[in-house]
Amino acid sequence: MVVDPLILIGAVAVGGVLIGGGVHFIPVGGAPAAIATATGVGTGTAMLAAGGGMTGLITAAAATTSPLWLVILAGGAGSALMLGITMLVGNWVYIWGVGCVPSSAKVTHDPITKYEQSKFVTPGTEGHGIPTVCFVSGIIGGLLSGFGGALAYYFLYYSLIATPGYAIPSGAYVSLGAATLAGTFALGLFFVNSVIASYNIGGTIEGFHDPKFARLPRAALACIIASAIVGALGVLLVQGGSF
Amino acid sequence: MSENGRGPNSVDKRKPLALGIVGGLIGIYLTPINPIIGPLLAALGAVCGIVWGADAIARVASYGLGTGVPSIGYMSLAFSLVGALSGLSVAVYLGTSYTWIGPVLGVVLAMIVGAIVAGLGLTVLKMKIPILMRCTIELAGAAAISVLGFSAAIAGSYAMPNILHSVIIPGYIALFFILNTMAIQHPFNACLGPNENRTRTLKLAFSTAFIAMAITGVIAMPFSSAWYVIAIVGAIGWFVSITSFIQASKDEAALVKWTGWWPHEEGEDFDKEVKEIKEA
Repeated sequence: MVVDPLILIGAVAVGGVLIGGGVHFIPVGGAPAAIATATGVGTGTAMLAAGGGMTGLITAAAATTSPLWLVILAGGAGSALMLGITMLVGNWVYIWGVGCVPSSAKVTHDPITKYEQSKFVTPGTEGHGIPTVCFVSGIIGGLLSGFGGALAYYFLYYSLIATPGYAIPSGAYVSLGAATLAGTFALGLFFVNSVIASYNIGGTIEGFHDPKFARLPRAALACIIASAIVGALGVLLVQGGSF
Repeated sequence: MSENGRGPNSVDKRKPLALGIVGGLIGIYLTPINPIIGPLLAALGAVCGIVWGADAIARVASYGLGTGVPSIGYMSLAFSLVGALSGLSVAVYLGTSYTWIGPVLGVVLAMIVGAIVAGLGLTVLKMKIPILMRCTIELAGAAAISVLGFSAAIAGSYAMPNILHSVIIPGYIALFFILNTMAIQHPFNACLGPNENRTRTLKLAFSTAFIAMAITGVIAMPFSSAWYVIAIVGAIGWFVSITSFIQASKDEAALVKWTGWWPHEEGEDFDKEVKEIKEA
């Protein structure tokens, strides 16, 4: 398969938007959530991108020789699974360790379960734990960003193996150099877009029910431009295979 | 905190900048001179780049990015790593007589992407950090130099085919991603606060850079005959810099020891505590 450079740039740009958009769905609680005074996972976007992104890329890379849709699904499943586990274990700590009820201060009733939230929010905090709506939102975010990372990985991998420098060695199924480079590239794309999204939301967000979610279009614009530039660097990387 | 990174406790920002660009690029370009000395110089070049990056991140993160210190470090390493490898790849495309252009082009490409991302932050995302542009560009350059330096130290050359064989295929490139981010972001993340002294922060930056260099030396074992030199020099550098950092921390902690903690209560207890502190 020969990948046109413009298709590579387009795939990376779309992948970047999916990652940046996906981060807006993930309940990122930051330092306040780490001391259970805000809803969400108690760490920043960079760490969540590292966890979700790397797992998604490992699952996507495991499906390297499969068709595009399977690679993308594998990436999404890996990222969503990792974020799901992170949120679940986080909730165990919040519920049985800290001893607080998962609740959101941004809405009066959970949009999914319709349970009342405001009664359970400790005064002086912005909620705690990961209530149902945040968990569902986080899974959607993991899926979207996993799709994005896998998309960029797939197209860069196939661009690279078409060059002599990264060609698949005879007797092997995959080109190790191309897979590592495409994986690192896609991981870089994860970090760039998740940090841009994080700047947009000002560090913390609860999910799609959060008022900050309305800022999504601004982040999408920034992510598409930044990812297109990174995609252009990807085209230069492919040129380096001509030895 | 030294206000905006420009207070009485900050260092002249041109010094780390000059150390990073000049030291870093000289180290990388001297890689091919000798199979032992060359990789050592490349690793020392990466150390210079890390110290420059630690100073740049300290200046920009003094403003409070709202996302913690590490995030901008991860982002810069991400596009710098891609930019640096793209620069080396363009040199391959131009032909073997243009290999020398690779590292400098990689650093420039990384800085251009840094400028674009910072520009997007300032215009589209409307961030209000005046030095974001300058510091992101500096951070991108520093990160690119650190990745190129360590890669050249392992490969013994800054040509893309060698780096592909001994850095990318074994997966060390992903290690450098995280290792260099840690070395660049940790010093300010650990030292930030009201009493941050930039000289002390940079002492910690030297220690994180040297310990990264020692690790690079150890993992260079299968590919480089200079691995033990890099590891030993890195370990010695780490010991000297961490000792100096601990001493600086103790010196500044003396301020607390001399003036004492705040009193629990006025009256007898207070006098008793003052007496105890004076005796101690």
